[in-house]
Amino acid sequence: MASLVPCPHCGARPKEEFTIRGAALARPLANADPAAWMDFVYLRDNPRGRYEEHWHHTAGCRRWLVVTRDTTSHEIAASRDAALDTTGAPHP
Amino acid sequence: MSDFRITPQITLKTALQGCTRLVSRTITLEALPEGHVLHVLGKPGEPLSMARLEGLSDGTPHAVRAAGPGQWFIVGDRAKTHSELADLFAAIQPEAFGVDQSAGRIRIRASGPMVERMLAKGTAADLSLSHFPIGYATTTLIGHIGAHVTRVGADAFEIMVLRGFAQSLWDDLARMSGEFFED
Repeated sequence: MASLVPCPHCGARPKEEFTIRGAALARPLANADPAAWMDFVYLRDNPRGRYEEHWHHTAGCRRWLVVTRDTTSHEIAASRDAALDTTGAPHP
Repeated sequence: MSDFRITPQITLKTALQGCTRLVSRTITLEALPEGHVLHVLGKPGEPLSMARLEGLSDGTPHAVRAAGPGQWFIVGDRAKTHSELADLFAAIQPEAFGVDQSAGRIRIRASGPMVERMLAKGTAADLSLSHFPIGYATTTLIGHIGAHVTRVGADAFEIMVLRGFAQSLWDDLARMSGEFFED
């Protein structure tokens, strides 16, 4: 189980300290097609295998994280602050 | 900062009434004076230097604690006046904002050779001296209660908790320490 989640700020912590929001998807532009927004807000793929999720370290540093988790093994490959992109640079 | 001078009028009664100290050979729990607790909120990635905040604290060791990226707590045993708070909050702007939490958070000191073993019953944070050195601070769950934990000595921790949870956390800590009070 993904019972210990590595927080980039606090180290390994139990999943009870976190709130899970779900898939970390690219947000459409504000003026994007309603279908794109429908897709972003409501439709989920429920993938098998590794994918990215938003986790909030509610009882810790209170930062939003992007956690790369495998849905079959619950193995966590990586985690980063949601304010950073995959290279570690802040989002524009 | 609020113009309402609410401190210390709403704290006439201490949060931990009747449970101020529990002592055994291996564990000591004590409620610390309800002085000041100031939350400093800066921007993650553009950190204020800890040394600068230490210059604004009362100068006691570990008076400034990290509380997540870009955030700190400044604590002390003496209550601050409204004008002292206003001066301090003005001194950290514009890089950060200060919020007076003196009436909102309670500090408990746990010390003794068995303190790591006792706290490990309630939290999953790694408390070993190599991972959690003196001066390191973090926010974690102790049981179901969120608490800010600072290591202030090799065998001593300070636990800061929201006022309404203080009595409940004290009872939990006392129960977690129970086996060390039997000798």
